Amino acid sequence: MALSLSKGGNLSLTKTDPSLSKLIVGLGWDPRVTDGTEFDLDASAFLLSSTGKVRGESDFIFYNQLKSLDGSIEHAGDNRTGAGDGDDEVLKVDLSRVPADVDKVAFTVTIHDAEVRNQNFGQVGGAFIRIVNEVTGAEVVRYDLAEDASTETAMIFAELYRNGAEWKFRAIGQGYAGGLKAVANGYGLEFA
Amino acid sequence: MTSLVPGGNAPVATGSITVEIAYSPIPGADIDVSAFALAESGKVRSDNDMCFYGQPNVQGGAVQMADASSGRAVFNVDLSRLEAAVDKVALTATIHENKASFDRVASLKVTVSGGVEAQIPTSGMKETALILGEFYRRQGQWKFRCVAQGFAGGLAPLATHFGVDIADAPAPSPAAAPTPPPAPPAPAKSAISLSKVTLDKSRSSISLEKTAAGFGEIRVNLNWNRGKSGGFFGKSKAIDLDLGCLYELQDGEKSVIQALGNQFGELDYEPFIKLMGDDRTGAVAGGEWLHINGKKWSEIKRILIFAFIYEGAPDWKATDGVVTIFVPGQPEIEVRLNEEGGRLGCCAIALLENDNGAVKVTRRVDFHSNQEPMDKAYGWGMRWRAGSK
Repeated sequence: MALSLSKGGNLSLTKTDPSLSKLIVGLGWDPRVTDGTEFDLDASAFLLSSTGKVRGESDFIFYNQLKSLDGSIEHAGDNRTGAGDGDDEVLKVDLSRVPADVDKVAFTVTIHDAEVRNQNFGQVGGAFIRIVNEVTGAEVVRYDLAEDASTETAMIFAELYRNGAEWKFRAIGQGYAGGLKAVANGYGLEFA
Repeated sequence: MTSLVPGGNAPVATGSITVEIAYSPIPGADIDVSAFALAESGKVRSDNDMCFYGQPNVQGGAVQMADASSGRAVFNVDLSRLEAAVDKVALTATIHENKASFDRVASLKVTVSGGVEAQIPTSGMKETALILGEFYRRQGQWKFRCVAQGFAGGLAPLATHFGVDIADAPAPSPAAAPTPPPAPPAPAKSAISLSKVTLDKSRSSISLEKTAAGFGEIRVNLNWNRGKSGGFFGKSKAIDLDLGCLYELQDGEKSVIQALGNQFGELDYEPFIKLMGDDRTGAVAGGEWLHINGKKWSEIKRILIFAFIYEGAPDWKATDGVVTIFVPGQPEIEVRLNEEGGRLGCCAIALLENDNGAVKVTRRVDFHSNQEPMDKAYGWGMRWRAGSK
């Protein structure tokens, strides 16, 4: 039975599922049911060093850069509408291949063109992130964060982080205004 | 004061709260504000979970429509008294018959007592039905979220969204039952069409509470498309529908009222129900009428209104039959015979029951070969013999 965390909660993945090495990060949300512009939500991952910043542009895994250089993180691609069962976007993580100078991996979801479309996370229902053991198919941990956002257009859903030799998972649920650009800036990426 | 934008939420007081919805009226288009008590599934559990003009008091008084006038609607909501199964209360605004979209509404604002307000940005909105906001439970506390999203298709997709199936009838559904403005800025509109409750598959019954003055004269009208031209469905034969009823009084007296056998009834004496004459051709505008003496409602136990096709093919859908029940001081109640009846010539339309003094009207629209099996189906228990007009 998978554990469900609340905002701020954390869990040792290594202790919970010692066999865990290759994992699937599934992120989901409910598609819009009323009329109006569709929501296009994008999941991204940031490989962060001990400073909390990316080491370079290649540490930013998103719809235009689906794979990290070391192959530790792979984005399965964009789902434009959130339709379909279960996870709306999926990233695969191979913990054994995460470089030693990467301290944590943050997973974010941002609303594409949120300002133009007048959209925010308070209008997105059923948002969650979950970790599934890719080998066994078992769900290890889950965080439902629908209520932890309101008018923000970007959310850090959760992060995987090293604690000594083990990997832990923390439910973040931290929202930002300003979309993907603001989140990426926060992690030390500058755009022209 | 907390000001919410769409998507934003704020905690609200737990006890009794007042919710005011203020809007700029649109000339020529009525705006109806309603509240839906929703289960965890996001759906209503039954029609009793809809609070609107025709049913201003739901959830045992925990959700009440206290005022509905042009430009303003007020609900009194006691969140602590809602049934445990109610997870959300959604506030909606709909523009009657989709006559305009919400971008015509210059200002639309929800104010929740205790210091939460939400100005709904209506600019550019194509929707004709809006979910303004919702009260919802969160970790044992009630919160209000500004939603400001809805449906361009109006009430029908909104109702479907909340688990209410709207029949394909052209008539407005109960949630659309508009509010007659006491001092309308626009020219006066027909009071009749403004206060109509349609009983259909989605909402099959309504209860009219007892008033101190009694119910006055309850009038039941059956009207239909006579098919007299023969052109509409290629039929040459006129359809003759007879209106009648089975009744049962509190003292156990029961019988039938119908033109057949000249059993027209009496208004001032038992059974206090009278058929106002048979219109064999349907040519008289207004169809057939059955009157019930509402002052004597306490003596009546139940009345089953039915229609009988005396001549002509029993193609019920083609009759466009409508039964309208008029109770003084109450919205009209309309039931459409918009279902297939096969070859069966008798249609039980509506059941009026004395529910502790209230008039409970339930849509039936089920079909029987004649009055006798209908009697059996409803457990009336009378003995029948053939008769003729």
